[in-house]
Amino acid sequence: MTVMPRLEDLEDKSFDPFLVEKLSTGDCPDPYPRIHELRAQGPVVDGSYRKQFTDVPDVQMGHLPQVMVLGYDAVMKVLTQPDIFRNKEAFENNLGRSFGNTITVMDAPIHTRFRKIFQKAFLPQVVAQWGESVVDPVVNRLMSTFIDRGEADLIEEFTHHYPFQVIYAQVELEPSQAPIFHKLAIAQILSSIGAPQGPEASAKLGTFFGGLLVEKRRNPGTDLISHLATVEVDGERLPDDVLISFLRQLMNAGGDTTYRGTSVLLTGLLTHPEQLAAVAADRNLIPQAIDEALRWEGPVTSTFRYAAQDTEIEGMPIRKGTYINTVLASANRDPRKFENPDEFDIFRSRSTRHIAFASGPHLCIGQHLARVEMTRALNAILDRLPNLRLDPDKPAPAIKGHLLRVPEHLWVKFDR
Amino acid sequence: MKKWMCMNCGWIYEQEVGDPEGGIAPGTAWEDIPDDWKCPDCGSLKSEFDMVEI
Repeated sequence: MTVMPRLEDLEDKSFDPFLVEKLSTGDCPDPYPRIHELRAQGPVVDGSYRKQFTDVPDVQMGHLPQVMVLGYDAVMKVLTQPDIFRNKEAFENNLGRSFGNTITVMDAPIHTRFRKIFQKAFLPQVVAQWGESVVDPVVNRLMSTFIDRGEADLIEEFTHHYPFQVIYAQVELEPSQAPIFHKLAIAQILSSIGAPQGPEASAKLGTFFGGLLVEKRRNPGTDLISHLATVEVDGERLPDDVLISFLRQLMNAGGDTTYRGTSVLLTGLLTHPEQLAAVAADRNLIPQAIDEALRWEGPVTSTFRYAAQDTEIEGMPIRKGTYINTVLASANRDPRKFENPDEFDIFRSRSTRHIAFASGPHLCIGQHLARVEMTRALNAILDRLPNLRLDPDKPAPAIKGHLLRVPEHLWVKFDR
Repeated sequence: MKKWMCMNCGWIYEQEVGDPEGGIAPGTAWEDIPDDWKCPDCGSLKSEFDMVEI
């Protein structure tokens, strides 16, 4: 039997990382008018994306030379030329501090080697099996807490918890440890604003995962952690520091983004009841509803790359050593690629792929799991909450944030 | 069902869909795709694809 290591809480137990994170990501109601203005200025615009929306200083990146790259084709050029636009320098002082030596902070050839090992555990045919065994029980357990009420806040009571609980299930976390786990997972990213609780949370999660790996190697099961702890490719095992860093990132990359993506999907559908009805009647529309939600309000609006040499984008020069704000949101709402880009329309032409999961070698490793989770969640909601609609007595959902987007509440009513 | 899948990102090649943006017309058999074609999602080469059971 697996003996689970214990997670240690933050020393300052009153510290609320959720509140601090909310303050640091801002409450910008709609960054898209500004994004459209910036894109109209050209494919490369001086300055940082973050500074367009907040005066909260970026202690890690604020002093560095930065440009924004905007528009679908320009953003694709950055993402698909990894020899010029690198990850290591772009992320070693932010995500690298929070998570450690993760594959996001690597470039080829080492990235290529480790990426393939991790991706093997998240290929579509692998994660599809988790739908029934892991995702459905989590979804059903959460829904049972409000299904008899005929009303709920689908953010507070559902989407904010289910992707994290899927991860807890993968990690076989004791339920009593879940609140500390969630708290540490959010606190670790606060290194970006200089909060001392950031490194403290990273260290405590590292100690926990290190103990978990020892235990899983001693007594391996069929779970994700056992697989990653023991997998060998060409006779090589994943180094512990790379594996522990990946597991730290899994909480944010796999938990936080799926929470945001699912919240936006439900918001898009509930604010467009005719599209919600269409999906309820024909579940084959779910994949395109998910893709449209991710295009329309992708959970992450901008990411970083680093120019490793003097270069250019569509004739605009970029100097070596520049940090590139690669504005994914400007690509996904580029009117040259998407007609009426600000509209949520699950029936729009899908001839251009959205890049909410990015593109190129660092494409989101967990996108197939995210799709499984979102599909299972939406199916369960459509099956079990008949006549689902916005609560007319509560404020309408408002998606907020300039970098990470999500509504705070999604109050709904349904028939019992 | 057996499909060709990119082992770097999990993208699946569907013969009936092809990859029009990458210059591969719908209906193109896997064998007829040139070796320098790249995965439209992650940019891996054709040689990084494996036949998998879905």
